[in-house]
Amino acid sequence: MGMNILVCVKQVPDSADTIELCEGSSRIIYKEGTVFRMNRYDEFALEEALLIKECFPGTIVDAVSVGPDRVSLSIRKALETGADQGIHLRVESDQYLTPFARASLIAGFARAGSYDLIMAGIMAEDDMECQVGQILAEMLCLPCATSVIFQEMSKDEKTVYVEREIEGGVHECITLPMPALLTIQSGINTPRYPSLSNVLRARSQKIEMIESQMAAALIMDRTVIGLGYPRQPSAGEYLEGTPAAKASALLKILHEAAIL
Amino acid sequence: MRRRFYIIALHAHGKILPETYELISFVRDIGGEEKTGIILGSKPGIVMMARELAQKTGMDIICATSKYLENYNAQGYKDALKGLIDCTDPCYICIPHTATGFDFGPLLGAALNIPCISAIEDVHDGVLIRSMFGGRIHARIKPPGPCAILTVQPGAWEGSAACSGPAGPVRIVHSDISPGKTIIHKLKVPASKDVGFADAEVIISAGRGIGSEQNLALIKRLAAMFQRSAIGATRAACDLGWLGYDHQIGVTGRTVSPRLYMACGISGAVQHISGMRNSRLIVAINTDPHAAIFRVASYCIVEDIKTFIPLVLEEYSRMSGISF
Ligand SMILES: Cc1cc2nc3c(=O)[nH]c(=O)nc-3n(C[C@H](O)[C@H](O)[C@H](O)COP(=O)(O)OP(=O)(O)OC[C@H]3O[C@@H](n4cnc5c(N)ncnc54)[C@H](O)[C@@H]3O)c2cc1C
Repeated sequence: MGMNILVCVKQVPDSADTIELCEGSSRIIYKEGTVFRMNRYDEFALEEALLIKECFPGTIVDAVSVGPDRVSLSIRKALETGADQGIHLRVESDQYLTPFARASLIAGFARAGSYDLIMAGIMAEDDMECQVGQILAEMLCLPCATSVIFQEMSKDEKTVYVEREIEGGVHECITLPMPALLTIQSGINTPRYPSLSNVLRARSQKIEMIESQMAAALIMDRTVIGLGYPRQPSAGEYLEGTPAAKASALLKILHEAAIL
Repeated sequence: MRRRFYIIALHAHGKILPETYELISFVRDIGGEEKTGIILGSKPGIVMMARELAQKTGMDIICATSKYLENYNAQGYKDALKGLIDCTDPCYICIPHTATGFDFGPLLGAALNIPCISAIEDVHDGVLIRSMFGGRIHARIKPPGPCAILTVQPGAWEGSAACSGPAGPVRIVHSDISPGKTIIHKLKVPASKDVGFADAEVIISAGRGIGSEQNLALIKRLAAMFQRSAIGATRAACDLGWLGYDHQIGVTGRTVSPRLYMACGISGAVQHISGMRNSRLIVAINTDPHAAIFRVASYCIVEDIKTFIPLVLEEYSRMSGISF
């Protein structure tokens, strides 16, 4: 027994401070010294996969990521955290890929892998699209639940009960037949830190590298006309001066509004 | 040929959700004229809702019924819509970007082989605008082909006013879909504790930017300056275990509208903003001058909360003679 689980992990820049825009174009420039890390929602997905592995001996957890060379660091991080194998679907370009393009690449790989369960974060923190998991499920003809905040696998590994968090904190409860795909919402668990033994194991482990040739059409299946800072300026007033001056200005405003 | 706009209505507990009417305002702004509403469910309840929608909007409504659509399920929605919508003519399929809409929207896009553009917040001259990086950056997008799925951020548009003209026609069709593979159970409403939001005139909220649990003390001391105050949080601050989820404000948390909302170390992701944008006075403190929270703030303070809040406390003590 035991399952094969695939976790999709995306690498994102740690902070938006270190990205620069080429005004009017669709290029993002990562300034020198940009720190990249695993998308936080994917950390929750990976942790959930590792928790299932602990309950179902014999389970294998694979971590897959699409991207240029740098993303291998996040795959390595997944191995250090406890994933068994890492797969890098390498693309040359460091540019925006549509959810459809990402899902197509992962589907191409996952089709051959006979996974019982595929997990992904609900959303990537950089592009904020909430789509890759769902498109992947449709491509692989898997039932899918998004925004999962609780899951429980049946003992016979044939079904999975999940609670989806919807608006206002209400939970929608459903049972899916396996194989299935889940996108994980933050707060479902507390992601662990890598253990020393896993860090040592991961150090010598090879990441499977698959070169992905993407048709230009796949990359450009949507026209991003441009990226920019929001046009709508702040409606508010920026307080000026020294920090102390701003503090007194704030107190004065609150006093005048009869709040203090 | 004119492009058709399909407006997919969402409903819960026998009521049409307000996000449905927001889609109509969105379609108006993008210049869509040919509109068809689609509502899915099981008889008899869904037919009443379809009539209400036709009455309030004057639109043509397709009411798709099946016993397998009694409860929302992604597969049922996807299959029924796929059967109804013909993508040989130009069309945009508009869906609210709620936990329901983003559940089936991308599935439908993949099933129809058309792109899905999600979480649209604004429109300028027919160009769609959506947030990236927590709202710090906006992408301007024009769908490449004649057809696309567009999911629209809840709260980004006001709901359309009820139309005064005649009700639109309602066409009831039976959706010949198969029973889904999923079993649907009852909804659960997790018990929540009141953290004083209902009575609070002032809410001081903490985000990831407060840096550590220790710095919550600063937030609490700031809140203690006011008589009726409560502590709020972003989902990120709750995920870190700094505050319980009962404190979370936003789409998946509570919606508040106090007289004063102070956002401390909060980036202003749209999911947070939708829970607090109607506060009377909004003060934001953030080290990043480009933070999205400043776009909804009445007063913007570009400072580090670790050094700025102590200054406010100090100055207030000096003025009032009370120490905090
Ligand atoms: C389906 C879904 C539902 C969601 N529902 C909610 C919800 O209900 N509520 C919610 O809040 N979120 C929700 N989120 C998450 C949301 O997208 C954001 O990730 C979250 O709101 C970010 O929280 P934050 O602002 O605390 O953290 P970050 O985005 O990490 O922002 C931290 C901010 O602190 C600033 N900062 C850093 N250091 C300092 C300092 N020393 N002093 C001052 N400022 C500093 C930074 O400049 C930054 O702007 C949801 C997401 C999804 C996908």
